[in-house]
Amino acid sequence: MAAPDIIFAGIGTACGLGYGKASLIDGLLAGRDVFSVLARPGRQAPDGSTSFIGVEMPDPPELPFELVPKRVARTAGFGARVALAVLHEAWGEAGLDDVAPDRIGLVVGGSNLLAREQVLMAQDYAGRLAFVPPRAGHVYLDSEISGLAASIFPIRGFAHTVGAASASGAVAVIQAAAAIRAGTVDACIALGAMQDVSYLDLLGMRALGAMGSARFADQPGRACRPFDRDHDGFLYGECCAALVLRRADQAGPGYGALIGAAQVADGQRGPEPDGDGQRRAISLALQQGGLTAGDIDVVSAHATSTPKGDEVEAASLHALGLEQAWVVATKSVVGHGLSAAGTIELAALLLQMRAGRLHATRNLDHPHEPMLRHVQGLPQPLAVRHGLKLSFGFGGTDTALVIRGAA
Amino acid sequence: MESDDILSILIGQIREVVPELVDHDIGAADSMAALGVDSVERSEVLMNTLEILGLDLPMVQLHGPRNLGELALLLKAKCGGA
Repeated sequence: MAAPDIIFAGIGTACGLGYGKASLIDGLLAGRDVFSVLARPGRQAPDGSTSFIGVEMPDPPELPFELVPKRVARTAGFGARVALAVLHEAWGEAGLDDVAPDRIGLVVGGSNLLAREQVLMAQDYAGRLAFVPPRAGHVYLDSEISGLAASIFPIRGFAHTVGAASASGAVAVIQAAAAIRAGTVDACIALGAMQDVSYLDLLGMRALGAMGSARFADQPGRACRPFDRDHDGFLYGECCAALVLRRADQAGPGYGALIGAAQVADGQRGPEPDGDGQRRAISLALQQGGLTAGDIDVVSAHATSTPKGDEVEAASLHALGLEQAWVVATKSVVGHGLSAAGTIELAALLLQMRAGRLHATRNLDHPHEPMLRHVQGLPQPLAVRHGLKLSFGFGGTDTALVIRGAA
Repeated sequence: MESDDILSILIGQIREVVPELVDHDIGAADSMAALGVDSVERSEVLMNTLEILGLDLPMVQLHGPRNLGELALLLKAKCGGA
C-alpha cells in the first residue's frame, strides 16, 4: 500500500509582524519594516559598546488559565510562552483535539534556546548564587520547550528536540514527516522554537563576520538586504512557528503536501556555505517529489543577506536551472530566526501559496544576481503548483523541502 | 524572629510560587504536599524563604518536618543556631 501524502494541516506563527498567521501574511505582502535597535534586556553589551539591529516581537498573548495554569505561566520564559501561543494557534486549526494523544508527536527545532535568560539569571544572581532557583536545573536543557509543550497539550506519542543551527526548523519538519511515514504517529508538530540570543551570541556572530550591519547602522530598516549588492550580513529576528503535519487520508489537503524532504551533511563545521551540499539537497528533494527544476514555481530561499551565503545560494539555484522560478527572501521582512527560520519561512511560503501572491524581497535595490527571478517592489500574483523551501545551517546542514500546492 | 513570622513568610512564598493558592486558607497544620505543591515548587518556596531569612544551608537539612508549623520551628532553630 502506498504511503499516504503528508500535508500541512495547521500553522501557528509569531514574529516581529505580530502573533498569528494573518499578521504574517499581511505584513509580508505589505513589506512592513519592523527592524530597529534591539531593546530586550540582555541583547546589548552591558558596557554600552553595542547597538545590534534586528527584529523583536511583541509580548505573547495571555493564554487561558485552563490551558496554562498560573503556577506554570510564572515559570515559563519568554521563548517558552511564545512557543505555547504558537502551538495553541496551530493545534486548533489542525484539529488535533480529535487525534488520540499517543498518535501525536512533537519535534522542536533548535538548541541553546534560552541563552539570553541564562545571561540575565547570571546577572540577577551575582552575589547570591546560593539562591539560584531550582528550575534553573532543568530549564537550561533542550527538553524545556518540548517538555513544557507536552505538559500543556496532550502530546503522548513522543516529544524531543533536534539541533541543526539555522536549519533546525526545517530538520524538525523532516523528522516530523519521517515519524508519520514510519507509522510512529499520525500527526506530528514541527516547532521552530525562538532562538533567544544573548549579547554574547550576537557578539560572536558579529565576530564571525556573519552578522550585519555596519553599513546601515543608522538605518535599521535598510540593513537586511538579501541578494542585494550592498548586503553585509544577516540581521537577527525573533521568530517562532509551528507546523502540524498530518496524513492526508485523515486530514484532507490542508495547505499543501510535503512531497520532497532532503537533508544532507556537507562537511563544514562552522558558517561556511557549501554549494555542493545545497545542490545535492535540492536534487534529492526534487527527485523524491518526482519533479524537475522546471516544475518549481517559487523558491523560498535561505537568503540570509550575507555576501558569501547569498552568492553561493544564487549560484546553486543557477546551476540547477531554477532561474524560471520566482525567488522570495522572507528574512528581508522578519529577520533571521536562526532555529525558527526554516519553520517561519515555510509557514510564509504555505500562506503565500494559499493567497496566490508572493511577497517582495525588501531592500533589493541592486540584485547581484539579476538572472534570478526576484520579486521586487510589489507582491507578485502567482498560482503556485510547486514551491521549494531551502534552509541551511552552520555545522554543514543543507535542507530542501518541496511542497505541492493544495489547489 | 518568631516561628509565627517564619510561618507567614512560608505561606507568602507558597502563594507566590503557586498563585492558585492565593485565596486558600493555609495554616501551621498544612503540609506543602497536601496543598498540591510539587517537588520543584517546594524547593523554590524553601530557597526563597532561606534567602529572606539570610540562611545558606543545604536543603537536605530541611527534610523531616511533617507540616508548615514544624518547618517554621526547624527554620527558627537554624536561625538561632547560625
